[in-house]
Amino acid sequence: MKPAPFEYYVPRSLDEALALLAEHGYDAKPLAGGQSLVPAMNFRLAQPAVLVDLNNLADLAGIMADGEGGLRIGAMTRQRAVERSPLVAQRAPLLAETLPYIAHPQIRNRGTVGGSLAHNDPAAELPAVALALDARMRVRKQDGERVVAASDFFLGIFTTALEPDELLTEIVFPPLPPRSGVAFEEMARRHGDYALVGCAARVTLAENGKVSDSRLVFFSVGDGPVQAVAAAKTLRGQRPGPAAMRASAEAASQEIDPPSDIHASADFRRHLAQVLARRALTRAVDRASALR
Amino acid sequence: MRAIGSSLPRGDAVGKVVGATPYSGDLSMPGMLHAVTLFARRPHARILALDLGEAGRVPGVVCILTAADVPHNRFGLNVPDQPVLCGPGDDEHASRVRFVGDKVAVVVAETVEAAERARALIRVEYEALPVVPNPVAARQTGAPVLHAAHPDNVLLHYRVRKGDTLAGFAQADVVVEGEYSVGGQEHAFLQPEAGLAWLDEEGRVAVACAGQWAHEEQEQIAHALRLPDERVRVIHPAIGGAFGGREDISVQIVLALAAQKTGRPVKMVWTREESIIGHHKRHPMTYRCRTGATRDGRLVAAEVELVSDCGAYASTSTKVLGNATIMAVGPYDIPHVSIDAYTVYTNNVPSGAFRGFGAPQSHFAAESQMNKLAAALGMDPVELRLKNALRDGSLQVTQAPMPAGVSMDHVIEQCAESIGWRRTAQGWQRPAAAQPDSPWLRRGIGFAAAFKNIGFSFGYREHCWATVEIHGGGDIDRVVVRCAGSDVGQGAHLAFQQIAAEALGIEAEKVEIVSADTATTPGSSGSASASRMTFMAGNAIRGAAEKALAMWRDEEDRPVIATYEFNPPATTPMDDMGRSTPNFTYGYVAEAVEAEIDTETGEVRVRRVVCADDVGRAVNPQQVTGQIEGAVVQAQGWATIENFVQRDGLVLTPHLSTYLIPTVRDIPDRVDSIIVEVPDPLGPFGARGMAEMPFIPFAPALTAALHDATGVWFDHLPLTPVRVLETLDEQA
Ligand SMILES: Cc1cc2nc3c(=O)[nH]c(=O)nc-3n(C[C@H](O)[C@H](O)[C@H](O)COP(=O)(O)OP(=O)(O)OC[C@H]3O[C@@H](n4cnc5c(N)ncnc54)[C@H](O)[C@@H]3O)c2cc1C
Repeated sequence: MKPAPFEYYVPRSLDEALALLAEHGYDAKPLAGGQSLVPAMNFRLAQPAVLVDLNNLADLAGIMADGEGGLRIGAMTRQRAVERSPLVAQRAPLLAETLPYIAHPQIRNRGTVGGSLAHNDPAAELPAVALALDARMRVRKQDGERVVAASDFFLGIFTTALEPDELLTEIVFPPLPPRSGVAFEEMARRHGDYALVGCAARVTLAENGKVSDSRLVFFSVGDGPVQAVAAAKTLRGQRPGPAAMRASAEAASQEIDPPSDIHASADFRRHLAQVLARRALTRAVDRASALR
Repeated sequence: MRAIGSSLPRGDAVGKVVGATPYSGDLSMPGMLHAVTLFARRPHARILALDLGEAGRVPGVVCILTAADVPHNRFGLNVPDQPVLCGPGDDEHASRVRFVGDKVAVVVAETVEAAERARALIRVEYEALPVVPNPVAARQTGAPVLHAAHPDNVLLHYRVRKGDTLAGFAQADVVVEGEYSVGGQEHAFLQPEAGLAWLDEEGRVAVACAGQWAHEEQEQIAHALRLPDERVRVIHPAIGGAFGGREDISVQIVLALAAQKTGRPVKMVWTREESIIGHHKRHPMTYRCRTGATRDGRLVAAEVELVSDCGAYASTSTKVLGNATIMAVGPYDIPHVSIDAYTVYTNNVPSGAFRGFGAPQSHFAAESQMNKLAAALGMDPVELRLKNALRDGSLQVTQAPMPAGVSMDHVIEQCAESIGWRRTAQGWQRPAAAQPDSPWLRRGIGFAAAFKNIGFSFGYREHCWATVEIHGGGDIDRVVVRCAGSDVGQGAHLAFQQIAAEALGIEAEKVEIVSADTATTPGSSGSASASRMTFMAGNAIRGAAEKALAMWRDEEDRPVIATYEFNPPATTPMDDMGRSTPNFTYGYVAEAVEAEIDTETGEVRVRRVVCADDVGRAVNPQQVTGQIEGAVVQAQGWATIENFVQRDGLVLTPHLSTYLIPTVRDIPDRVDSIIVEVPDPLGPFGARGMAEMPFIPFAPALTAALHDATGVWFDHLPLTPVRVLETLDEQA
């Protein structure tokens, strides 16, 4: 299939890109890796009148250390570059663990981190990881900049806090608190397909080995990344043994409302959510314990 | 170097890899028109009226074909029960649509866009009819009758009675009962249906398309257009896979009709969705089985009832049923057998030919029975198989002796040894799978075997033509082989080339193959199916080559040209007790699978497959390995993630995003292809057909591995994660 006709701009600078977005507003769409936008246009699910291609904005790509243990990733950084970065493996192991699950290498070679977050596909991995890690989104428009916490960024199916004249420019991953472990789990019908259910977990232990804080975020079970609040509550202050993990995972599977489709029923997704949550939390705890 | 037995590279490889080779969808001609099909997209309805008024006025539309335009509005490979186009008219049969892919009209226009616009404006008035969703509903009294000739919706019932099962079961110390079901499967060949038709320089209607049997397509087109066969020409350009999915007519007849009507070239390309709803699938089947054995593991009796979902039209259902019947108890010698097999019309997408042709379904049931029987007897499954395997002269269920060259025990032994089975003083012993360090992952190793006919069965007149021309003076400079047989992607033409070279004692490079065109080849080669192409064409080419070589030696004239028709030994249809000589030869295969199961998510991963396939003589070993690996992966898809879902006649998986096939990352971690070479006494240089065989034992070997891993039997395919978990829960 072919997209509807559109105008195409290749700005040479961020300012030029922002000016184009300001001018065209709702008619325009930024083009990053094109791995979601182009198929959507070919199926005519998206029909932007104007495309603003970000691929020449070298300043928007890059992976940098941010202070003690933090990380900054430019929005146009290819997913594959993140996957292969030693800095990411060191400072954001959850990202490193997650990236191989996103589509296939060919797609990750083009697809960008910013594109995935801005797209907010409910089945996408990166929004869940961003939420689990309390990432902050740096957002620019022609006459200003703001920083949006991940918890305020993802608003619903394919919807974020971005305004049509705004660009996501950078994602900041703060350092993990001490004694924190992370883990990622997903199940798909085929390798590389969008997950039936997946989750990202982060657990922080207190000096005494009990859980001081935890975060469990699902994807493919709702309108976007879905934080399991009750699950975290059940864990807080607990000694993280198998029973506590099981109880927390069980609570998590009860607080989500997953969809049914041809690949899996809601009940099956709920079952998977509970299994994957238990596995992810257990691994996160093991890793946190190893740091004590 | 001898031509046979070497892995010569494919002449067509580079062109296909770089995209230079034209497939039928790539063809075009000056002045060409474009056609699109209006599919019914409802499973059962009567067409009351058809209004083409508005559609016909769309600029660019040249004509719209409907049922009224088809001279003889019925076609079918074995039973002509399918309307070319459905619509109101004198023929009540054609006034009904019986599945979503029935065709109502074909719009021919200057551009695809104009044709599509017009198609959207065709008004069809349907009267919805009650839908027959499955064979159980179809056989209930009062069910809607789908074909007047079959008031009970049963297209065919085969009945086999060998020996006396009552007496047989009385001798049994152990009896195992089982119920099995298997799903349909979409061929998912790379290239959806496409074709181009025109009137050629001799005034024939020429159709270039992807098919499996050019002469049969020629006959069916001629039949529908009421033309003599020689007024129709069929050409197969490069073919993007077939697997049986191109045995039935798709675009050929309507394209021929459109070219005839407009006098201009007409092209049609189906979308993937049209392809999935438009062509037949593998037969979903259900089985009820009883198998009895003595304490020492001798099979004494077996009873099977099987029902196949024929779908809306016969396609090759009767032939598939025949195969399923004679393989319903597996490759074993059993004295007392009773089989009842039914194929039943429904409003589903027709079922038809697909690699294995009834054998995978029946072997799933039969081999699962054997694995359960081994467990019940406390006997190793390889040991039990070897005790009962068919041998030369064993009586088949049809009471005819097995043709010479049976190698069942060879393939079983070689396969078992390769994956680590040990021969001990107590007999064969299964290796234990190394268990991973995880509470929820379990591994197991399973085994299954199979046999499958080569060539057409049950009295169908099986034959193949070839012509060999030898050019040169004293030495042979160049050889032209004319043989219609289709290269559907499997590399048949390279095999033809190697066989001709071997027969003439020359290098393969000197041989040119002229093929896949009814106008330039001497006669039918039969279908590229039934694992028969290399066997049949190989024999025909060898016969023609030897005849030509004798002329070359005896005569002065150059070039010499010899034509040969190969006829294998005759077969016979089954009588009312199932007695027949069903086939002239078979292929033999055994497979072992090591699999891992996640007992919490229901995921199944195949770690290793060992396939020992007796190919008689490997004409080109690399191509043989390619067929084994391809068949294993296709079988893994069928057994695990491929799930063709139909509900009330509607296809719920009409895209490759909903109908999932394995990707390179889902296939087994390792496939070991063991090429066994026990010469087939009838085969060209000993070669047997082999392309279907490695598909057949995979599914029961996999479920045996899962049983080894978990102690649970999985009797229903596909093994979706939900089904796996439910089965684990039920049997826990
Ligand atoms: C076959 C296939 C399988 C896939 N599987 C997965 C999977 O398993 N998991 C997964 O998460 N994804 C998957 N994807 C999607 C892939 O990861 C995409 O690359 C990603 O979702 C979007 O990134 P992109 O750079 O391609 O963005 P684009 O497609 O270019 O853009 C996506 C959207 O984001 C907007 N946008 C892009 N960048 C910015 C920015 N800097 N500021 C503001 N708006 C912006 C665009 O306007 C557009 O609306 C798959 C894609 C394909 C084709």
